[in-house]
Amino acid sequence: MKAIIFDASTLISFAMNGLLDELRGLKDLFDGKFIITKEVKKEAIDRPITIKRFELQAMQLKTLFTEKVLELPKSLDVDDKLITEDAKDLVNSANKIFYGKNRKIEIIHLGEAECVALSKILTERKIPNLLAIDERTMRMLCEKPGNLRNLLERKLHTKITVKKNPEKIIGNCVVIRSAELVYMAYKKGLIKLKGNMVLDALLYAMKYKGCSISEKEIQEIKSMDRKKQFIK
Amino acid sequence: MQEVDNVLRIFEESRLAIEDGNGSTLRSLSDQTINTASRTQDPDNIATAVIVYALSKIIEREDYRNQEGWENFYNNLINLIDKTIKAIKEKKEFLVKKNLEAMRKEINNLSGNLKKYIGEVFRKASVNKASRIYAHGISQEKTAKLLGITIWELQDYAGATNVSEDPEAKTITVRQRIKCMEDMFK
Repeated sequence: MKAIIFDASTLISFAMNGLLDELRGLKDLFDGKFIITKEVKKEAIDRPITIKRFELQAMQLKTLFTEKVLELPKSLDVDDKLITEDAKDLVNSANKIFYGKNRKIEIIHLGEAECVALSKILTERKIPNLLAIDERTMRMLCEKPGNLRNLLERKLHTKITVKKNPEKIIGNCVVIRSAELVYMAYKKGLIKLKGNMVLDALLYAMKYKGCSISEKEIQEIKSMDRKKQFIK
Repeated sequence: MQEVDNVLRIFEESRLAIEDGNGSTLRSLSDQTINTASRTQDPDNIATAVIVYALSKIIEREDYRNQEGWENFYNNLINLIDKTIKAIKEKKEFLVKKNLEAMRKEINNLSGNLKKYIGEVFRKASVNKASRIYAHGISQEKTAKLLGITIWELQDYAGATNVSEDPEAKTITVRQRIKCMEDMFK
């Protein structure tokens, strides 16, 4: 068994771009589970379904949930209570990593922490997993907390002190984004559109709907694709 | 309330900017609260940022002034700003909070189109400020909760900004990320 754990941000990028069929297609190709935690379900489905502006997209996501394209952690025998407890500890610790003007800077919330907590539980149980996170802060905290410190320092114009070891709190999580997932969908022929600008359009669509990917990274993906086509 | 002197200055200068009908000064004043709001996440600082930004949009719309209820709404807001300034000077924090809340609740006293317009201005102001706080390094979910908006609204807005172009956002290479994903899909 293996799993991809989705944060609300990645599901929102797919939903807002009308690419949920492609997400379903990816799940069909994946020999494992697409997992969302209880809090992520609340943020991505339960709350927006009550807001007229997002009702349709939330309903479409709910359909994926009903069809078991997206599943809760209990499908992997992981108890929600365990995740919530671990996530609360994680929020508590992560929000005491960075200090500015002698005051802690709270950077993350429960839904984001649940994804990381679940990833750690699965890793402990030897279940290979990836995190799918489009938002920037949590990804930076997972992959390069030093960069997050630098960003906070630059933006807040304040000296930032690191008072806890982020790696100890977060562990070794691997993060992918909707951009990489949509690239996979493109490579696997799941995109119905044809033409040489399709990949460009898909990547920029994800970026403009909130996937934290830079123009330079988009160019890198496109160049990788061109090289692969040339080799073929 | 955090950094009281700064909030006092913001409201005093905002009061003058409103009289001058100067929306861009109000927007700049609102931006000046964002650093403190991001760092301390103090609700009063956040409310100040949202209110001052919303005011910048409201005073620029001359057509609102012809709407029924405008006169009353405008006078009440000015009155509440004056009360807020007085309360800060007198160090009456509970009154500052009460006045900030009352400013937002002024919308409830409106009716018809003006209620709809001003309500939308405040909602958009919250999303705009959320996007600024997210840009400062606070996560989307945390920011959305602070501003009382959904992650959907924030993400839709933030995607159109330059947040992902900050050099610090690059953590691992695209190649490494794609390799991890391809291995997982094997």
